[in-house]
Amino acid sequence: MNTEFGNPFNLTKANDFSDTEIQEFWVDIPGEGGLLGLLKPTSPMPMLVLGGKGSGKTHLMRFCSFELQKVRMKEGSVLDAVHQDGYMGIYLRCEGLNANRFANKGQSLEVWNDVFQYYMELFLGELLLRNVAQLFESNGTSPSIELEFVYAVMSLFDSIDGERPCRLTDLIAYLRRLRAEVDGEVNNCALRKTLNVTIRASRSTLIFGIPAIAIRYLPKLSNTLFVYLIDELENFSSEQQKYVFTLLRERKAPCSFKVGARLYGIKTYQTLSGDEEIKEGAEYEKLPLDELLREEPERYKRFATSLVAARISALVLRRPDFVDKVAGELEGMFAQYPVDKFAREQTKHVLTKYEGRERPYFEQFARDFLKYSKGAGDEVALLVDRLRVPTIPLLEKVNLLVLFQAWAGNLDLRVKAVEVERMCADFKDGRSSESDYARVFSHFSSDMLAQLLRQTGRDQEYVGVDSFIHMSMGLPRNLLICLKHIYHWSLFNSERPFQKGVVSLDSQKQGVRQAAEWFFRDASTKGEEGRFLQEAITRLAELFREVRFSEKPAECSLCTFSTDTAKLSEVANRYLSLAEKYSLLIGVRDGQKDRNSMRVDAKYQLNSMLAPRWDLPIFRRGAIPLGNDLVNAIFDPSKVERFPELLRQRVAGMAPPFKVKQRVPKGDSIQSDSENNLQLGFENV
Amino acid sequence: MFEFGIGYKERLDIGVEWPHQWDYFVSAFNASERVKRVFDKVTAKKKVWLMCPQYLYESTEYPVGDVFSSDKRNEADFVAEWGSGAPADLDAMSVCVDITGFIRPTLLFFVKYLRDRGVRRFHALYSEPTSYKKKELTEFSSAHTGEVRQVAGFEGIHTTSTDNDLLIVGSGYDSEELARVAYSKDTARKIQILGLPSLRADMYQENELRVALAEDAIGSGKVFFAPAYDPFVTADTLDEVVREASNKSGISNLYLAPLSSKPQVLGFALYYLKKCAGGPASVIFPIANRYAKETSVGIARVWQYTVEL
Repeated sequence: MNTEFGNPFNLTKANDFSDTEIQEFWVDIPGEGGLLGLLKPTSPMPMLVLGGKGSGKTHLMRFCSFELQKVRMKEGSVLDAVHQDGYMGIYLRCEGLNANRFANKGQSLEVWNDVFQYYMELFLGELLLRNVAQLFESNGTSPSIELEFVYAVMSLFDSIDGERPCRLTDLIAYLRRLRAEVDGEVNNCALRKTLNVTIRASRSTLIFGIPAIAIRYLPKLSNTLFVYLIDELENFSSEQQKYVFTLLRERKAPCSFKVGARLYGIKTYQTLSGDEEIKEGAEYEKLPLDELLREEPERYKRFATSLVAARISALVLRRPDFVDKVAGELEGMFAQYPVDKFAREQTKHVLTKYEGRERPYFEQFARDFLKYSKGAGDEVALLVDRLRVPTIPLLEKVNLLVLFQAWAGNLDLRVKAVEVERMCADFKDGRSSESDYARVFSHFSSDMLAQLLRQTGRDQEYVGVDSFIHMSMGLPRNLLICLKHIYHWSLFNSERPFQKGVVSLDSQKQGVRQAAEWFFRDASTKGEEGRFLQEAITRLAELFREVRFSEKPAECSLCTFSTDTAKLSEVANRYLSLAEKYSLLIGVRDGQKDRNSMRVDAKYQLNSMLAPRWDLPIFRRGAIPLGNDLVNAIFDPSKVERFPELLRQRVAGMAPPFKVKQRVPKGDSIQSDSENNLQLGFENV
Repeated sequence: MFEFGIGYKERLDIGVEWPHQWDYFVSAFNASERVKRVFDKVTAKKKVWLMCPQYLYESTEYPVGDVFSSDKRNEADFVAEWGSGAPADLDAMSVCVDITGFIRPTLLFFVKYLRDRGVRRFHALYSEPTSYKKKELTEFSSAHTGEVRQVAGFEGIHTTSTDNDLLIVGSGYDSEELARVAYSKDTARKIQILGLPSLRADMYQENELRVALAEDAIGSGKVFFAPAYDPFVTADTLDEVVREASNKSGISNLYLAPLSSKPQVLGFALYYLKKCAGGPASVIFPIANRYAKETSVGIARVWQYTVEL
């Protein structure tokens, strides 16, 4: 493995690893049979493994391949190993077929379907026979038995070209020659405008026939499942995917299939049986890998910690046996702020920077108050004095928030300020942990901290390994890329990460921002659609940011929205669905119950990897309901010009002068702030 | 070594009469000054403009003179249609091709098509820009389909083993194209060929800036250099890279992605046709539906390459 410049996180993709390295660096998820318990290689039921980029699909499928079964073999023969495992994995990477050449060039779709299916038959047959040849060899099979096997396989062909092979090696070469002939015809078809392919084997005769024959000649395989691990299905066209799903439907013992694909990669669930769709549950089961990992955050956290610890112990400390030790100490390897609900360490710069002058949030409040409330300057000073907590700037921000709520409710601010002063003092001294003030603090302190940092010229803080694990959202590659960039910055900042001292706060912040940029740029590699999705996500993130940094945010820790998708345009729905498939948005299971109608709306969270790009929170709390006009303006190209105006309207009530009644655009669903609003006996706006 | 390097190239001065005359001259039209000036400058019995559909020219925008147009976007279909109307005795003619305005997959197939038509030798012209309009931020293509595929005529006969696949990219300015190609061959080791010396003095640095944006996709593998204006040294460099990689750890399947200057694209074509045809090697390209009609400013050097097929 190449760890250029010693970065243990440089290699982030399964395909960067050799077979031995896959085994060496394998980390399983804790409990319930681990990852193999999810993939179930010995189960005859076919499976569709879906996941975003970096979810670990390829890693998992390669782990089950024959090549890795051989690497894991401790004693005995490879035949014994397969027999013990109960399955043999035949791994195929769809990208290797260069399948998009089986199209156009003046030939009909039907012709290409036949040619492609025949090509797959030969390709998979060749892969399978290579494995079987090794089993024969390890079994010490006699030449006469081998000959019988070869003849039996040849009988599967409808016609034979040339001399009949007698050895397995010749049989493999025969299939390779047949495939090369198809390659030659396909590759030259564009010029010649002809495609002369003789199809010598019917669909699935080799794929299902060879395993059945192998079992006859290797009785030890009698209870072995031949599992075709077909990875990267997104590289196949819709017609080609139909063929694969037909194989799943028509599968014959002793064969099964595990098919891996990106979330956006499935173009159809139809089969060649009159375009009928393959039935989930009855004909295949689905494994949504990263979704499952997200739903078990503790399990994922332990897995991710072990994954990181394995890299550090092997590649930095050169002590592969230190994994558990490193896992236990991992959190401490990254600089963090002390646990303090008032964030005094993070905000101490405010005391020094603004010594002798007014803090910027009070200055802004004074300007707004004088502008909108027709108050006088000395009145402002009196109000501000009530809100001051000089040594705890965070409390000052929360106090301001409470006062803004009162302003929006048309309450007497002088009276309110006195009340705020008292409530704040009680809370600060621990006398009222269950009060309304305490609830406001609990909901909004992270947002107020974010505002405070921004207003005082500081970067937002995305630090700590727990944060990075959470940000990866069930996609281990995201975590590795985050750490890769953090490690780069740490070295650049003259630190010795994981060897001496801690990774500084600055290195973490810089690395995380770079990882966020990478994740965002990565979306545009998906063609024009990717470009538009980037723009749409930018609009959505700007909305969240406007809310988060407003004087009176409607929701706390906002990175999630809900909407009635039935009311969206078709195009908007399509892009919303694509955003989810490309993992730019994460669909929240169970949706959001609308308070007024009890309808359940779809709910989406912005992928936390993107949060640093717009200074947004990474942990989901509140969700803002968005009407169809606004969501269309975000996700429908024909309606985006309305976005600036709709955004302005949506956030109008969150900034002075806090208009009590928002104008709800015609066609929007009911705009009501959610249950996370302040409950201080004020009127909600 | 230097098998291709003996290829002959010479600089032409745009300000004086050019010594050569040709029987047949073809150029792909776009709005840049260098393409139009060269077309006017060339002396040939027959001069033809090719209208690549990716530039989205309306018929009212076509240049004066002999024009071939087709809405066929596939390079093989487009070139084959042109070929069906080209002189039957093309192989007996002196042929000149200005490669400057060609869309890269079309250029690749065009070279192969000439060879298959029996043309054994032709001249290729390439004119360098003074600069690109937006320097390292210049956008050349848009409306990417997301598809990365083999270029027609440059498809190999690949093996089932993908353990030692190698992708060699001629890296250009478009970091998105680079990332797209790199991700399409996720499994492969990756080597880059950068244009150095570049066409103009600061273009190498601009290129590096763009390549850095795709670092996560392309990785930090080895980088080789070949002059951006020299197809023959590019072909030699490819030969050297492939031999070294083959000797070191073997190559199961080879993929070439010429994303850089047109002379380098020509070099990739020559290398492939001479060394890779029929083997487990393909040229791949990220397909775009639209190309910018004009990205460059001015005309600097004009090169004439003598290409032996």
